[in-house]
Amino acid sequence: MEIIEEKRGPLSTFKLQGRLDSNTSQAFEKRIFDAMSDGTKNVVIDFKDLDYISSAGLRVILKATKALKREDGKIRLCAMQDYVKEVFEIAGFDSFLTIVPTLDDALKSM
Amino acid sequence: MTLQTNVSFELKNSLSELPTLCEKLERIGAALRIPRRLLFEINLALDELFTNIISYGYADQSEHVIRVRFSSEDDMLTVVLEDDGIPFNPVERLPPDPPCSLEECKVGGLGIHLVKNLMDDVVYSRSGNKNVLTLKKTIEKN
Repeated sequence: MEIIEEKRGPLSTFKLQGRLDSNTSQAFEKRIFDAMSDGTKNVVIDFKDLDYISSAGLRVILKATKALKREDGKIRLCAMQDYVKEVFEIAGFDSFLTIVPTLDDALKSM
Repeated sequence: MTLQTNVSFELKNSLSELPTLCEKLERIGAALRIPRRLLFEINLALDELFTNIISYGYADQSEHVIRVRFSSEDDMLTVVLEDDGIPFNPVERLPPDPPCSLEECKVGGLGIHLVKNLMDDVVYSRSGNKNVLTLKKTIEKN
């Protein structure tokens, strides 16, 4: 999996490419928490090029969401393929996460 | 006329086999003409079960083999996952309630919750020294 990170002040945008599973989730977790130690308070995760997510990936998103909330930060997820979105819905994560159609929508809502 | 196909493969008990699982499924998906979305759902279900088996299934550090068998008959796909780990029935574990708030959300059991929701039927049996998990899913061709 590739993670492209863009940082603008307290906002970090992560673009994910490939597969977020038990093999790759730890690297992603480290990137988010490193960014937070580095002053990031708000996070956008762009799922446009993410082909696959498992519960290991959901776990990282959950952990990051809880950590950001403790710091009064925000998190937005965007541009999910419909079958990736289905995983968030089955898990019930769509009840507490803001999932928007495009990266623009996500950035505007910050 | 009934069209029947059988395919099987083996995986070792290591997370490094996840890409192998994905590759095998791509090939089987093409051969059995499984639609992309369904292939994704099957990959996810097998990933969760496989990850569970290798994380909790073995009391020793030895190499083990996990067998995956695919069969399709008309529009019904059956996948059987067989391992020689300690007896473990993932189906009888109570699924978490769908979380309604961030604070209440727990990740334990999430993988199995996904499997049960993605597949039409999940049945566990213990056969000799093996856990046998049978998954069924209707192939909806589009």
